[in-house]
Amino acid sequence: MKRILFLLVLTLPVLAQAASPTALRAEDIATLLKPPSHGVRVLAIWALDCAYCESNLQALAKLQQAHPQQLELVTIATDSIDQREVIAKRLHAAGMDAWPARAYADATPERINYLIDPNWGGETPRTLIIRADGSHLGMSGELTPSKLKSIL
Amino acid sequence: MRKFIAILLSLIAPALLAHEGHEGMTKSKAPELGASAAIDGKGRLWLVDAADGHVRLRHSDDFGRTLSAPVMVNATAEPIYAEGENRPKIAFGKQGELYVSWSQPRAKPWTGFVRFARSTDGGAHFSAPLTVHHDRAEITHRFDAMAVDGQGRIAMAWIDKRNLEAANAKGKPYLGAAIYTSVSSDAGISFAPEQKLADQSCECCRIAMARTPQGEIGAFFRAIYGDNIRDHAYAVLHADGRPNEAQRATFSEWHLAGCPHHGPGLAIASDGVRHAVWYEAKDKPTLWYGQLDPGHAPKHALAIAGPGASHADIAVNDRQVWVVWNQVGAHGYELMVRSSQDGGEHFDEARQIANTSGAVASPQLLLWQGRAFVAWNTAAGFRLIPTEAL
Repeated sequence: MKRILFLLVLTLPVLAQAASPTALRAEDIATLLKPPSHGVRVLAIWALDCAYCESNLQALAKLQQAHPQQLELVTIATDSIDQREVIAKRLHAAGMDAWPARAYADATPERINYLIDPNWGGETPRTLIIRADGSHLGMSGELTPSKLKSIL
Repeated sequence: MRKFIAILLSLIAPALLAHEGHEGMTKSKAPELGASAAIDGKGRLWLVDAADGHVRLRHSDDFGRTLSAPVMVNATAEPIYAEGENRPKIAFGKQGELYVSWSQPRAKPWTGFVRFARSTDGGAHFSAPLTVHHDRAEITHRFDAMAVDGQGRIAMAWIDKRNLEAANAKGKPYLGAAIYTSVSSDAGISFAPEQKLADQSCECCRIAMARTPQGEIGAFFRAIYGDNIRDHAYAVLHADGRPNEAQRATFSEWHLAGCPHHGPGLAIASDGVRHAVWYEAKDKPTLWYGQLDPGHAPKHALAIAGPGASHADIAVNDRQVWVVWNQVGAHGYELMVRSSQDGGEHFDEARQIANTSGAVASPQLLLWQGRAFVAWNTAAGFRLIPTEAL
């Protein structure tokens, strides 16, 4: 019985802590695109209206868990931060509470797309890989196992 | 101890329930600018958009400088898709009827119903909205497209996931969604049971429609070929009961297991040439122009614009062809145009005809007495912009 109680107590904070996204403004983008000191930063860009996105987030999360020292993962919803509750719910349902989450805070989302990656037309999911050497690689669509492997 | 557990459970239960989806009902505070416009035979501009759960109809007798007070198309408020590739539509009937359609989000993500209402008194009143499809499953029926054929029949097409759901239930693979169509032969009082036009369409891209010289409706939409190759198909919606057959009409070979949110445009000339625009990003984002030759690669294909260009529309009047699109950059949007005087064999250089630092909807080309205008709904207000060089 004590064990059950212990488990329930452990569960409580997880339920309470659905990852609430923070605002991503135009002026925040330079920091996100800055090369990491080592390894790679992966921007996992997704949208509420994208049926392919959640499994892509989960695949990237699994990769990050396998390589916690080399890979920094940030999720970015292209939906408005005004929808933070819906975004947080969806992230929670996908088991994505543990990673920093951002959502667009700009009246012109396509401008944010352009500032993140001018060679991206807004299709989702979009994965942007930023390496310590300053190189960027953008990939559209759900990543295949071989593309996932190529990240590290 | 049991009491403690009961209290803990009562704390957890609401948190669990809170994760049951009702996403579709959540209102976004972001501006929803999805709108459609049309100019009638008397030169009156009509505009539909959505606000506070109502599709609003306004008109203008001075080419968009001033707009009338709105008429609510749906008297009872309901959720309305009015952003991105979804926007309310307007079309005219043969006897001056006004037809309006839209997609209504349902409770679950990605679901929707296609809705329709009509006015027979010049837009003063509208019929109670009806749901176009007979299928009432809480699944995707959205991204509606509407056109009126030469006989005055209303053709509706939309993206529909019933076949995907059926395949999922059987554990069978099914990429994308399907395109379904329905026709009203009684000026919008009712719609015939829907028919499937094509399996394995893209899930999130608008459908383009235009009337052929024979008075039938041509439909051009993003489909899926092989392993998520997101090219386009063309089909004629026959008026005489012949089966409709969609044929592959672009061959860009863009592979994407994802949502392009980027549908094509279509304009059919009086000589039957099918002028089209579409987007792909196999190597880099590109807007293409071409003349559809279903079953084969388009003729006179031309890369109209590159990165930052999106949501093109196309219009044709005899040998004149216009293409417009939104060009986004670091400081906002430019509305761009390229035109051809020789039936699309050559296009002039791109020209900017408007710009804004705020949000915009997709541009829409409208023809009036041989001139082309662009309906551009922006956060700063609706604009009707001539395409001519000053």
